[in-house]
Amino acid sequence: MFNFHYRLERNAMGLVLAIVVVASIGGLIEIAPLFTIDETVEDAPDMRVYTPLELAGRNIYIREGCYACHSQMIRTLRDEVERYGPYSLAVESKYDHPMLWGSKRTGPDIARLGGKYSNEWHVAHLYNPRDLVPESKMPAYRWLMRNSLKIGDLGEHLAAMRAVGVPYTDEMIANATADAYGQANPDSTQAAGVTARYGEATNVSLFDGKPETLTEMDAIVAYLQILGRLTDVAHKTEQASVE
Amino acid sequence: MSFDHDTVTGFAKSFGLFYLIAMSIGVIVYAYWPANRKQFDHAAHSIISDDEDRPCP
Amino acid sequence: MIQGTWIIQRGGVGMVALLTALERTYAAIILVFVICVGVAMAVAGRGDLMAAHGWIVALFGMVVMAVLLRGIDAPEPWEERFREYYDDPTKVGIILALIWGVIGMFVGVWVAALLAWPDLTFDAAWASFGRLRPVHTSGVIFGFGGNALIATSFHVLQRTTRARLPDQLSPWFVLIGYNLFCVLAATGYLMGLTQSKEYAEPEWYADLWLVIVWVVYFLIYIRTLARRREPHIYVANWYYMAFILVVAILHIVNNLAVPVSIGHAKSYSLFSGVQDAMTQWWYGHNAVAFFLTAGFLGMLYYYLPKRAGRPIYSYRMSIISFWGITFMYMWAGSHHLHYTALPHWVQTLGMVFSLVLLVPSWASAGNALLTLNGAWHKVRDDAVLRFMMLAAIFYGIATFEGSFMAIRAVNSLSHYTDWTVGHVHAGALGWVAMITFGSLYALVPWMWKRPALYSARLVELHFWLALAGTVVYVFAMWNSGITQGLMWRTYDQNGTLAYSFIDTLVAMHPYYIARTVGGLLFLAGAVVAFYNIWMTISRPAPVDEGAAADLPVEPPAPRAWAQAGE
Ligand code: HEC
Ligand code: HEM
Ligand code: HEM
Repeated sequence: MFNFHYRLERNAMGLVLAIVVVASIGGLIEIAPLFTIDETVEDAPDMRVYTPLELAGRNIYIREGCYACHSQMIRTLRDEVERYGPYSLAVESKYDHPMLWGSKRTGPDIARLGGKYSNEWHVAHLYNPRDLVPESKMPAYRWLMRNSLKIGDLGEHLAAMRAVGVPYTDEMIANATADAYGQANPDSTQAAGVTARYGEATNVSLFDGKPETLTEMDAIVAYLQILGRLTDVAHKTEQASVE
Repeated sequence: MSFDHDTVTGFAKSFGLFYLIAMSIGVIVYAYWPANRKQFDHAAHSIISDDEDRPCP
Repeated sequence: MIQGTWIIQRGGVGMVALLTALERTYAAIILVFVICVGVAMAVAGRGDLMAAHGWIVALFGMVVMAVLLRGIDAPEPWEERFREYYDDPTKVGIILALIWGVIGMFVGVWVAALLAWPDLTFDAAWASFGRLRPVHTSGVIFGFGGNALIATSFHVLQRTTRARLPDQLSPWFVLIGYNLFCVLAATGYLMGLTQSKEYAEPEWYADLWLVIVWVVYFLIYIRTLARRREPHIYVANWYYMAFILVVAILHIVNNLAVPVSIGHAKSYSLFSGVQDAMTQWWYGHNAVAFFLTAGFLGMLYYYLPKRAGRPIYSYRMSIISFWGITFMYMWAGSHHLHYTALPHWVQTLGMVFSLVLLVPSWASAGNALLTLNGAWHKVRDDAVLRFMMLAAIFYGIATFEGSFMAIRAVNSLSHYTDWTVGHVHAGALGWVAMITFGSLYALVPWMWKRPALYSARLVELHFWLALAGTVVYVFAMWNSGITQGLMWRTYDQNGTLAYSFIDTLVAMHPYYIARTVGGLLFLAGAVVAFYNIWMTISRPAPVDEGAAADLPVEPPAPRAWAQAGE
């Protein structure tokens, strides 16, 4: 009697199948609908992609594990909106491969950091946070100032990003290295190409304060300054009430 | 049939519920099926029996 | 009698000598292949950090090859081996687990200290918080937990099926290959190689390698089950199987990525934004479920009854909770994303399932404790059993806390704070580490055929160090988490936020020091365990007293089980 179950448990392969089915259907049902979400996600026609320099900075952010202490996801809670700015929308991280929402706020949320401080402030802060904020728990990142930035292969990085769905053009990929240099050297000939390709509003400046040499500090500061500013849809659309 | 977001989420929610109920019933019936009792008892005791610590030939 | 002496004679090189000549040859071929892959990575990744990993792979292969070569021309092993279980990989796995445990917890203490005294980085990139933290998490979860799971699963699998592992090479492949993955993970973080996906940080080539290792692991399980002599598959194996299978599914999906090029370590995740968030936490939460829970429940369901000498209180309940856990955890991942840009209905779904999840979780914890009911005198006298009991209690606490934190309103307070870290370590120290130490203490004398551990008093000492460390750690984090969460949302009379972020940071400082102290206690306990187990192993084996030496020596299995259960 009750043959099916009786066999199931005698039959190792049956057990394997049962586990796989029971476990995967749950995830499937829950996650699959999210891939149709593009229809419901806010539209952000002004959304631009990361410049090569910003992408390099983002990779340094990942490399150093900044995400272990900083979130980039303002929740729909009143105090968060008042402390950090409009809550984060799904569309704002649609070019984030992978996303860096974070799960721990040892330091403050930085989803809307861009433009909050000057470049000089960031450089000094990263060089030694305790010079500016004596109580800070953040490590000093002096090596970012010492290490020169590797930009030769940024075209390949952009191409890989395109392969996972970010709309980089052939031109952007071909000029990635020059654009990275130009964005951190406003007086160079390469600077004009950056604004031509990524828009007039692109932040072209001497991020680490030193002309010519391109350091990792240039890249990370460029990245910090674009946070929350790839699109201003969160500021423009009326936000639903927060709890 | 179109796979828009609402259809898919609607399916996920309703099917998920049926699946949960069917699954729970199935497991409980299996666990309490009288004929299974003997082998469960046997299994529970098998690991603490002090047979020789070697594979069956 | 003869076998007894034969066992004692083989030690050291003996592990290689027990492999057949064919197995040794295959092992050498695999190692040559690994070394070649390493060199190829070093060449392809010139100018990239991947080259460093290439050399590490090659070096790793050569070290294992050196061990193999020392015994390569040993005579063909005796047929007698088929009359015994194959336990050499389990023995090595136990030692590796302990080594990783001490390393991982040491780094944990360091990371804790960094939050109290951030200048302990000494201007070295590899020693900064963001790079050391994943060394800690991977070191303890994968290094310590993973090796313990592999070692115990081989032991449990053979004993419950009464069948020997199907061959002698694949278990080594799994164990050593897995440790190569762990080495790549830890060294990668120090150099700055990470995907940033929590608990899945290693880059694409390490991920690919783990897939191969995992498939072989699965095949060992299936092949052994197919040869089993017990008709019924004991429930502990169900849990180990769920651990192996589901981790495979999670690992493959979550790590889908496109490398920059074949010579670059860096890759870009296939998913982005909200889909990536859901995928990552579907992975992250179920890594908790199937790595840190299901696998260790497998341990619990074998070693606790075995040590107590009593069958599990309700076998039926263990089956029901098994399917409950397997089914429901999968839905709960979205409780990591409350109030975020994830659609509301997914958050609600995650919350509901997290609450229901308490039922199978407590069923397991209760089942374990009820098994001990009636044997409290043993729990009192035997610190090893007490480790297991405490693990079950902390499992109950951590799951209760988890379900509570999954409620949206509660999560609005706890998320992003140290409360989460407190919850994690209630589970990690109280449940995962305790059940592991308990099981390893039980297992070591059986594996090395010693009458008992080197020192029962050191186990007792470890028990109190571990308990004190966990309590200090968890209470410090509960306090700091709830304090910080409340400060963030406190308004003053004017309706503006009362505290700056820095104010909350200052309030955390004492708790961070307390946590470091708690961690130190826990680490000290782990070092004591290492010493105790090491002394147990290195002490000469007792003179063979006939076949009895082959039997598990402790605990004596009393007949009391007749009254236990339903
Ligand atoms: C150990 C945890 C930790 C790590 C790792 C960390 N930070 Fe911080 N961060 C903090 C803390 C704490 C603060 C608040 C005190 C301060 O301003 O220094 C902070 C503040 C900041 C601020 C100022 C935010 C504001 O709105 O005032 C920025 C920008 C920042 N961090 C960037 C970074 C970057 C970039 C990295 C990685 C290279 C990083 N942090 C790594 C802990 C950390
Ligand atoms: C000596 C004992 C330990 C100490 C001192 C310690 C310390 C720490 C510290 C300081 C963090 C970082 C918290 C933060 O970012 O604020 C952490 C994170 C973590 N630890 Fe431990 N740890 C210990 C043991 C363990 C063990 C045994 C495990 C697992 C079995 C574990 C699993 C984790 C996990 C999963 C995280 C990440 C938590 C999160 O992201 O929320 N730890 N630990
Ligand atoms: C019923 C069982 C459980 C439920 C419902 C649950 C729920 C939760 C919730 C709600 C969070 C907080 C998410 C956030 O706000 O970011 C969390 C985090 C976590 N839990 Fe649990 N938990 C359970 C059991 C466990 C157990 C047994 C462990 C074992 C160690 C564990 C390990 C973790 C880890 C490692 C995290 C941190 C993830 C991160 O942010 O990095 N959980 N859990």
